[in-house]
Amino acid sequence: MELAIQQAKLALDALEVPVGCVIVEDGKVIASGRNRTTETRNATRHAEMEAIDVLLGQWQKNGLSMSEVSEKFSNSSLYVTCEPCIMCASALSILGIKEVFYGCSNDKFGGCGSILSLHLSNTTPLNNEVPPGKSFKCTGGIMASEAVLLFRTFYEQGNPNAPKPHRPLARQA
Amino acid sequence: MMNNCLIVHIPDKEPHDLHHQPTECVFASAIDPKHANQIVRCLNQIAPLEDLRHVKRIQKKVLEEGQIQLLVILCLASEGNNQLDSMPPHLQELISSYQLSPFITKVCKYAATSKEEWQEQCKFWPTSYHPRTYNIDGITGFSEEDSRSVLKFMQSAVELATSDGLETICAHEIMHVVNAAVIVDPSTKQIISTACDQIFAWNTCKDDSCYRKPELCSSRTIIYSKCDPHEKLHSNSPSNQLKQPYTGVACLYPRQWAEQKSHPQSSYYWHPLQHAAMVAIESSAARDRCLFPREENSEAKYLELDSENSSWTSSPAKRQKTACANGEDVEKLNAHGQGDHSQTSDQPPTRPYLCTGYDIYLIWEPCPMCAMALVHQRIRRIFYAFPNPKAGALGSVHRLQGEKSLNHHYAVFRVLLPEEVLHKCHT
Repeated sequence: MELAIQQAKLALDALEVPVGCVIVEDGKVIASGRNRTTETRNATRHAEMEAIDVLLGQWQKNGLSMSEVSEKFSNSSLYVTCEPCIMCASALSILGIKEVFYGCSNDKFGGCGSILSLHLSNTTPLNNEVPPGKSFKCTGGIMASEAVLLFRTFYEQGNPNAPKPHRPLARQA
Repeated sequence: MMNNCLIVHIPDKEPHDLHHQPTECVFASAIDPKHANQIVRCLNQIAPLEDLRHVKRIQKKVLEEGQIQLLVILCLASEGNNQLDSMPPHLQELISSYQLSPFITKVCKYAATSKEEWQEQCKFWPTSYHPRTYNIDGITGFSEEDSRSVLKFMQSAVELATSDGLETICAHEIMHVVNAAVIVDPSTKQIISTACDQIFAWNTCKDDSCYRKPELCSSRTIIYSKCDPHEKLHSNSPSNQLKQPYTGVACLYPRQWAEQKSHPQSSYYWHPLQHAAMVAIESSAARDRCLFPREENSEAKYLELDSENSSWTSSPAKRQKTACANGEDVEKLNAHGQGDHSQTSDQPPTRPYLCTGYDIYLIWEPCPMCAMALVHQRIRRIFYAFPNPKAGALGSVHRLQGEKSLNHHYAVFRVLLPEEVLHKCHT
């Protein structure tokens, strides 16, 4: 989680909403990511999506097939400074990640219990169809105060990208 | 059939059957009109109806003999407990001092969302109805011209979803039909970006090469005009149950990718999250970066950080031909992501904030990932043709447009199309 916080600090330095994450397999960090929504002008480039793309790129370069990649994700855990939003939680469930640990909760956009509970996707197949998502274990509150402190710093210095002066103290778009 | 009958607004809340709206039991009583003022004032203090603000506290009834009777709501009656002694003591005092005779009646639990609902509600007990104060164009109906435009853009999306296009090369014949997305600026009726699901063949990238010129899209209008939209749109009544499974549609079967045993064609990158809407968003962001390059000083900082931590930007797939509208040095742009191209003179004066004001057309109702991505990117209106009963996030399983906590809300519409449009239009 400390490494995830470091990623968030990188985001803060780049005037991005400070969220960072790392993905861990067998106790080893295999990817990291931080928010790049301002830089890319793509509000979906959250830390989680950045880290996921690193892994997909690496694994395909190594010649892994889809089912092998799926297997890899099912053995990987995500550490992220803020509860994944609805989009990221849904993406993590699509990929079939094993477990998620997060810092502060996200009471505006949270997809792991705050607003929706996408980590509890129904995994029982209906009529032999592939279920739409895989559930994953989710634990929050790890180093939450550090994560909140970063947000506070960010909003105090002002979000230069925000269209209106006031933004919620949760995750930016 | 008029065109504007084909576009249905999908409301923020699950609509209630007009004649079976949820109700709540309350104690009410007839009162002497002379005491009405005092009683109501007293009731507002001792038994305010916080959750029933839309319900009128008092109603006037004209009896057969022309006499006027006033009825007032005393308080909520808890389910299965119609004993008067369950009332708060203050209320019991009031009842005895005015010699009221309480009875149980029903009122509607939720405020009416339409005039029709309101009229039905008043049959139980009068309520107040406030038509929505905000209006995103279309919620209150479409003009004939707007409808034609909506149908035309939806037709473009159908065309993309069913074409063997240059963009989408599917691993299996069965995955022939995919989801497609068209982002449009309705103020100029210009297509901002288009995309298909690219789960199995992701041949574009995360930088500016994703952006294709609008000209490329407009050249296809020749193809659209071959299949008259009116003929197809009206040929059959749409149904919620599609006959075919459409297993190639990413938002319908988001986990399908994990079941693929075979190696996809090695020359293509694949990506389980490249649903049509996600690709279209990235493509519109690439257009933004391309048309409105950032100022020099801030750019230097970003480039510096990029070298520290780059993700897909190192991928060879990014070295694609780009169609940058201002026709700048393509190689340079690709080499740097946001390369130095601040010398543009012909850039339009205002830069959009993300996709503010833009519409998106999708063939299928998006999954939660795509629907939330569209919230993040500030899309104004979503039009989709077919519902997504197992994973849909705009009415089927979830209803993101009604999640009050989100910082942005779009309006959602369904464009009623017959399933046949997905089969007829192979060109």
